[in-house]
Amino acid sequence: MSSPLSKPQIITHIQKSLNYTVFDSKWIPCSAKFVCLGNFPSGTGVIQIYEVHQGEAQLIKEVEKPKAIKCGTFGATSLQQRHIATGDFDGNLNIWNLETPDVPVYAVKAHKEIVNSIDGVGGLGIGDGAPEIVTGSRDGTVKVWDPRQKDSPVANMEPMEGETKRDCWTVAFGHAFNDQDRCVCAGYDNGDIKLFDLRNMSLRWETNIKNGVCCVEFDRKDINMNKLVATSLEGKFHVFDMRTQHPTKGFASVSEKAHKSTIWQVRHLPQNRDIFMTTGGAGNLHLWKYEYPAQRCKKDSDGVDVGVAGSVNLLQNVTLSTQPIASLDWSPDKQGLCVCSGFDQSVRVLIVTKLNIV
Amino acid sequence: MSEDAVFSLQSHSTTVDYRGKVPVEHLDYDYIEKCKDVRYLEKILRILRSGEEGIYPHLIKFCESHLEKLDPKSRALRKAMPVATAASLSKDEWSQIADELKRWQEETKKTETTLKHQSVFDDLVKENMPPVRGSNCFVPLSQKTVLQERKKPSKCALPRDYREWDKFDVEKECQKIEEDVEKTDPPAIINSGHPKIKTQVDTSLLSQQEKLFLANREKDKGNEAFRAKDYEEAVTYYSRSLSIITTVAAYNNRAQAEIKLEHWHNALKDCLSVLELEPGNLKALLRRAVVYNHMGNFHMATEDLRTVLREEPQNTAATQLLSQIEKKTEECQQEKQCKGKKILIQEIEEADNQTDGDNKAHKTACLVQPSQPVGGEERSATPVERGDMGNAHKKPHGRGDGGPHAESNNSHHEHRRNRGGSSDKYKVPHDSKEKVANGSSKRGSTASVQGDQSGSGKATPVGGNAGETVNLDAPCGALPPPLARLKNEGNLLFKNGQFADALEKYSQAIQGYTDSGIDSPEDLCILYSNRAACYLKDGNSQDCIQDCTSALELQPFSLKPLLRRAMAYESLERYRKAYVDYKTVLQIDVSVQAAHDSVNRITRLLIEQDGPEWREKLPEIPLVPLSAQQHRREEPPSAEILQARAEKAARDAERKAEVRFSALKQEGNDFVKKSQYQDALEKYTECLKLKPEECAIYTNRALCYLKLERFAEAKQDCDAALKLEPTNKKAFYRRAMANKGLKDYLACSSDLQEVLQQDPNVQEAEKELEEVTKLLRQSLASPSPNKPRKTVPITEVEDDENVTAVPNSKNSCKGEDISINLQPTSAYEFGQSLNAARSSGNTVACAELLASTAPEMLPQFLSTQLDGHTISFIMQALHSHLLEKDPYLVYQHLNHLHTADRFSVVLMLLEKDERHHMTQLFEHLSAVQSTQFTKNDVQNLANKYI
Repeated sequence: MSSPLSKPQIITHIQKSLNYTVFDSKWIPCSAKFVCLGNFPSGTGVIQIYEVHQGEAQLIKEVEKPKAIKCGTFGATSLQQRHIATGDFDGNLNIWNLETPDVPVYAVKAHKEIVNSIDGVGGLGIGDGAPEIVTGSRDGTVKVWDPRQKDSPVANMEPMEGETKRDCWTVAFGHAFNDQDRCVCAGYDNGDIKLFDLRNMSLRWETNIKNGVCCVEFDRKDINMNKLVATSLEGKFHVFDMRTQHPTKGFASVSEKAHKSTIWQVRHLPQNRDIFMTTGGAGNLHLWKYEYPAQRCKKDSDGVDVGVAGSVNLLQNVTLSTQPIASLDWSPDKQGLCVCSGFDQSVRVLIVTKLNIV
Repeated sequence: MSEDAVFSLQSHSTTVDYRGKVPVEHLDYDYIEKCKDVRYLEKILRILRSGEEGIYPHLIKFCESHLEKLDPKSRALRKAMPVATAASLSKDEWSQIADELKRWQEETKKTETTLKHQSVFDDLVKENMPPVRGSNCFVPLSQKTVLQERKKPSKCALPRDYREWDKFDVEKECQKIEEDVEKTDPPAIINSGHPKIKTQVDTSLLSQQEKLFLANREKDKGNEAFRAKDYEEAVTYYSRSLSIITTVAAYNNRAQAEIKLEHWHNALKDCLSVLELEPGNLKALLRRAVVYNHMGNFHMATEDLRTVLREEPQNTAATQLLSQIEKKTEECQQEKQCKGKKILIQEIEEADNQTDGDNKAHKTACLVQPSQPVGGEERSATPVERGDMGNAHKKPHGRGDGGPHAESNNSHHEHRRNRGGSSDKYKVPHDSKEKVANGSSKRGSTASVQGDQSGSGKATPVGGNAGETVNLDAPCGALPPPLARLKNEGNLLFKNGQFADALEKYSQAIQGYTDSGIDSPEDLCILYSNRAACYLKDGNSQDCIQDCTSALELQPFSLKPLLRRAMAYESLERYRKAYVDYKTVLQIDVSVQAAHDSVNRITRLLIEQDGPEWREKLPEIPLVPLSAQQHRREEPPSAEILQARAEKAARDAERKAEVRFSALKQEGNDFVKKSQYQDALEKYTECLKLKPEECAIYTNRALCYLKLERFAEAKQDCDAALKLEPTNKKAFYRRAMANKGLKDYLACSSDLQEVLQQDPNVQEAEKELEEVTKLLRQSLASPSPNKPRKTVPITEVEDDENVTAVPNSKNSCKGEDISINLQPTSAYEFGQSLNAARSSGNTVACAELLASTAPEMLPQFLSTQLDGHTISFIMQALHSHLLEKDPYLVYQHLNHLHTADRFSVVLMLLEKDERHHMTQLFEHLSAVQSTQFTKNDVQNLANKYI
């Protein structure tokens, strides 16, 4: 490794202890504010809005909700509205206007059990096409919602009768590069990763990575799908090259064992799709860079195209705490700024330097 | 920290004893220095770090540095660092970061506040969004289950319950067909379909803030694609970014990507754009030099490079390139004939470029194909397709063993003949092909056979399967027990895959049904439909179609027979009829995915077959009554259900209208793209019938009218659009073009000015404005002395057209002020009345109109419709009719008129005699003695006008 100073540094800018368990934290787009979602010890849910101001996080707003809130996304809202969509422990999907967060602007009982993961697309100018939200739940179903349609999902991915229901831990949108194409990727507790094509309403691809899939994310939602990162329970993560799908072998992938504990989350840098951060169960953060191979595609022995995976380089790794870091969100506006929250009941604003020169 | 785990994973090799203990003597500077085995070194490092043999910090460091030399990426070197804080950075560095952060915070605060103020646009943005995804689609979680299901029937004879089959049959069959195709020859799917990405982004309704955000984002995407060496994709994204906002950076980057793609001309264009925006841009100069170099224009390249080096003497890229070029030119000069050669080279390169481009286009086109995973549709040769379809239909057959297969084929033949006979009896209209297939003489003989069989079948229900667990005597609708039994037997046989036998049962049931004289069309319909399914499975599409037709005669708009008939038609390659049937199915139930898929497939085939006018060759698609769904089901539904259904139907109709609207609009847009304006016009007109409040359609239709040179109608559409959206730029621009076509240059220029006022960046508008002002000047200048007479014809031309356009005004033209609405309540009505009056030159009517209009409402009523003619017309009316009666009203009107929109613009463009009128009016007004206003007031007002 070259001299440590030329590497990106991860710096804690702000650390704030909270009096509740925080499950998710998200930057509000086009602002210096972020939202924390979680639950109070009493079991009720909470939404807090903080503003970064002169090296401090100032609490601007706090709302208590009857159910603990697990996850949230701004992916399906316009820049002007900036409504957050949340999933809670009771299986509800709500969309809140953060200016008036008392009553949801959209509410639906989405699942029978906890909503584990949520993602949105079509808003913020990210991805063409309709605004849509996808939720994955413990009840084994993955549902796609359109905020313009009340009560029922626009697509429903659930096990057939007789199939065992797996706990869906994570969902992600991708491939939304025009207004028809769109994919949803879902990861399950048994290691299944399934890729649903929403244009054809079919299962496009599936694989199993042997360990529970904690988080999946496309490097970009709004491009022709390029890469997919899936993290697993036992500390490995897989990077799939999504450009070439072989009829039998599927997508080429590279895996890396990084953490000694569960990798809770992976988030790609909004300003550079080849850099991503993984958060570990032992409170550590790993910053990675994906290097493309010389040729991304080759012919196999039968003359069929097959993808070639690249390699991953560790750029930096730091330990923040002893508890798992459950969520991380890069600021969409300021390169290198990110907020992360862990089970040590604290939220941190981090600065990652020199991202533009790696 | 993680090295232990990593290590244990790695230590399985055999060459060195990685598992055993590391001898103590190996923990030594000399040994470590000489050791070239990375893995062994890693092991040593682990031992050292563990402290088993004592702690030697320096040796550890030495070992680490040595390992780093051998393998800088070794996992053993990964150390979990504590997170850095502000203190761990140098002061300068931190202050820089902190400053940046602070600046960012301030900036975002500003952008956030501006964002908050722009929420007016919200609804407009939504208009452009695609509609909500059609249906609550169920997507199975695994492919395996589908596969298993398909395998099951071949193993055991009981695949599914009949009712289930009843529900899913057609869709699943279709899915299977597609899967079959995919399975047989699955190509690798390559996701590099950048041609599918639009290069334009519609941002007409976005605020500046959002545009900036979007443009940056698209540029970032371009940068990423560039880094991944996807240059074509990068170009697409840069183009998208530029279509939102033109920036130097995006142009520059696109130039670089074009250089990588060796599209020299495009690259040159981009460089020039940059240099236009920012004359001294070094990057652009450098890139232009590269392009010139490749195009063989060494002289220009050197010049550019010199400029770069003057600005930045250390630029290595520039110096290198310069020396390269100098070498090249020297070589050229050494050879005397080099001049000619040089040109030759250049030409070749250019030609190369073109072919290159073509190749690219071709290549990309090829790439799209595999990336569309829907199988079977890419086939250009229809026979292949047909073969496929046939296979697919026979698929369930093939599941059985060889024996039964042949058998069923035999029986199938018989039954076809039988069918011919029986259908004769029922007087079902025969298809001509069918007649050819079954000679009429044959028919006579088989008819009797059929009669015999049915007779025996009815008396003693033959059933090897009679002992099955299924209750065969279950009652079936209004059918008497023997017939019900026959039907159930048929169902059972069908489930078991014995389609021929099932067919026989159904035929018997149908026969018995007519003999017994029951009146229950529903049951007969089901029987026909079921028999049709058997025919379909047997691949006997002709008979299938016939049975479906019979069923549909009994029960129009029943879903299943329609679907089956559609499939049969499709397999017979009668795509038009199939298309109509599928469309009908979709009208009944939009959620039938199989129908959607097939419609898409057939549309493509038909376009291939018939060209763009394929729609005209289609037979008429029957309109399904809203009650069709109710009709299909039980007859006596409760009132509540009825109501619920009616609501659902209404909702469906609404949604259908919505879908139809967007489809029409899309078609219209497509026609426009193909320059088929007349067709587009029709589509848009239909759109407007569905939704008369859609501004975009009006502007689009206006465009078509413009292209067809029907200016008056174009103007009307623009007016309508502006009524809906008073600030629509496009409408203003198009109205300007219409006015130009109508030779109303005054109105044209004022419209153009309006456009420029809204968005000064519209270059077309600027150009047009220049041109129009010139035209305007000409039209004003040439007939200077007897202008009034000359200008009258011009206005008359316009008036004439107006007359044809607005039916209202036609009336008013003939019979004075018959239809002029003198009590306007809205801007629209006022505009209509005023137009009507103006077109007939009826100043009396205008005066009355003005008299009945409150002066303070005048500007509002005129809204953006004001033009020079209107003003002078109003002046005339005021002058000749109102001035004597009510001077105060005239004063008030004048007092308000100048507050109207665009007044100042229009005023500037007034013609001389119109100005003259105005001065006269003011002179007379000031001469009037009044208590309500003084001469001074009039003078002040006149100043605003003259």
